[in-house]
Amino acid sequence: MSMPDPFRVVYSAFRMAMLHWMADPQWVIPNIIAPFVFTTVALTLFKDATGPFGLYAVLGGGMMGMWGNTIYSSGFAIEFERWQGTLEEVIAAPSKLIHVITGRAVSNALFGLTNMIAILVIAVGGFRVSLGITDPLMFAVSLLLTLLSVSALGLIFASAFILSRSAQVLTNGLETPLYIVSGSMFPIALLPFWIHPAAYILGPTWGVDAIRLATSADYVSQSFWAGMSPGMAIFLDLTVMVLITLAYVAIATVLFKLVERRARVTGSMVQA
Amino acid sequence: MAESDRNRGSGKAIVAEHLFKVFNTTKGILRRTKTQVVAVKDVSFEVDYGELFGVVGPNGAGKTTTIKMLTTMLIPTSGKATVLGYDCEKDVTRVRERIGIVLGGERGLYTRVSAVDNLNYFADLYGVPANIRDKRVKELLDFMGLTDRARDRVETYSKGMRQRLHLARGLINDPDIIFLDEPTVGLDPEISIETRRMIKELIEKGKTILLTTHYMFEADELCKRVAVIRNGEIVALDSPSGLKKYVRDTSVVEVVGYGITEKEVARFKEIQDVVSVSADLGEDKQVLKLQTPKGSEIIGEVQQILKNSRIYDIKIKEPTLEDAYLRLIES
Repeated sequence: MSMPDPFRVVYSAFRMAMLHWMADPQWVIPNIIAPFVFTTVALTLFKDATGPFGLYAVLGGGMMGMWGNTIYSSGFAIEFERWQGTLEEVIAAPSKLIHVITGRAVSNALFGLTNMIAILVIAVGGFRVSLGITDPLMFAVSLLLTLLSVSALGLIFASAFILSRSAQVLTNGLETPLYIVSGSMFPIALLPFWIHPAAYILGPTWGVDAIRLATSADYVSQSFWAGMSPGMAIFLDLTVMVLITLAYVAIATVLFKLVERRARVTGSMVQA
Repeated sequence: MAESDRNRGSGKAIVAEHLFKVFNTTKGILRRTKTQVVAVKDVSFEVDYGELFGVVGPNGAGKTTTIKMLTTMLIPTSGKATVLGYDCEKDVTRVRERIGIVLGGERGLYTRVSAVDNLNYFADLYGVPANIRDKRVKELLDFMGLTDRARDRVETYSKGMRQRLHLARGLINDPDIIFLDEPTVGLDPEISIETRRMIKELIEKGKTILLTTHYMFEADELCKRVAVIRNGEIVALDSPSGLKKYVRDTSVVEVVGYGITEKEVARFKEIQDVVSVSADLGEDKQVLKLQTPKGSEIIGEVQQILKNSRIYDIKIKEPTLEDAYLRLIES
């Protein structure tokens, strides 16, 4: 018997999660219907607003929905296995639990995209909001990398679920502060100075900056890299985000190792 | 299995040495109180290669906790568990690669997807090479008689089909040792018989099996040796015929009647010569089993206690493994 190939395990867990998404149409509610309702309300209320409305209201709303879905579902991946009654079978396998949860987290991230896409379609198609994406390729790349960064953050949350079912309080409680601190809805400059360090260690903060730069070249003056060309600013944003994401993965790997051993002592992952 | 595997460590397939497992629980919100639950106390046994070893005991006796320590899912509070010569605490991956686990009940499967998806997924989690995986999945589906429904969602399966799929999943890595935790619990007799037939086939194929069960006839039929566990401790370990020696000095008086209540059962328990009493107090009829060295001499006393009930039948029987179990559990 060979050691399980990590990439194969990640892919297999990704595929299994996708099969479950397909089999359970409930995802339509948080990913399509809810964003449709919220975007409709926001665009109706602020239809006469001027300025970078698309950047903050539409993109911000989309990102919030997308990240909320990703962080929540990734953190909740362990709980999903508990509900299915498969957690014991999964942890009894020789593959590493973090690889299984990574596959699920990436799948959740992709489904999180539907949230963003739903909002963009409603805003552009239904309300004729002009987003004027200047660099569609970098927009897509930034969006995908940001989603991966959020998934990696979700892995850290997931490790908490190994120790306790009450970890849901943690994900629920941190979701809104994360939106605010990462600058999804309004610029970080508006936040108190002492919150800025917290913003800088969040990968999505840099992802948001890159997405906005790809949407509007004029935004560069408000970005972290004011004075540089938009292309270079996006590159730097993405580089910082990738480094932070790698740090998240490293932290999650250590946390999984620690909490898995702890769970084998306390029995929090099994029914004894 | 390689000869080197058999020679590793003590040369036994499974070794449990003085296993203890203590769970800490907390209660209350403002005034938190900690309590300790000793689930397993000083459990020791060895299982030979190719043996079908049984662990029996009532609910909460520590059977499942013992299995979970042997399958690396729990770390013993003290003591040591080795499987195929590998330490279950430290050599986690090596142990997991070589064992299969089938936990009883209806859970443990992804019900929204098909049997093939379930098996392929677990094959990947167990590192089954891609070129072997498809062949093995097909073979297992054939062996379990699930080929015709292999692409249907598991949620449409009957209990028996799910149990067969559980077994298939537990065999996906072609394990040397299989842990079966109450594999027939909740199944109807026909499916239980079928499951036991499959377990026998696995032993014929040279697998080592550790089986926990509530059903003594199952342990009697399948196991070479049986450990009886009570309150986390092994109270007896022997072959089924060896365990029956515990009740060789007694007979079983089986009474079938109507109108027998807990009150009468309690009175039987007070009789000095009755070593154990089991009662199945159904609505239509009640069945009492009294173990006693007095045999038929006790019938008069039985009739006296049940004078207000209707007695349909009284039989004197040779004790079974179940009677031995009851005596061990109640003593």
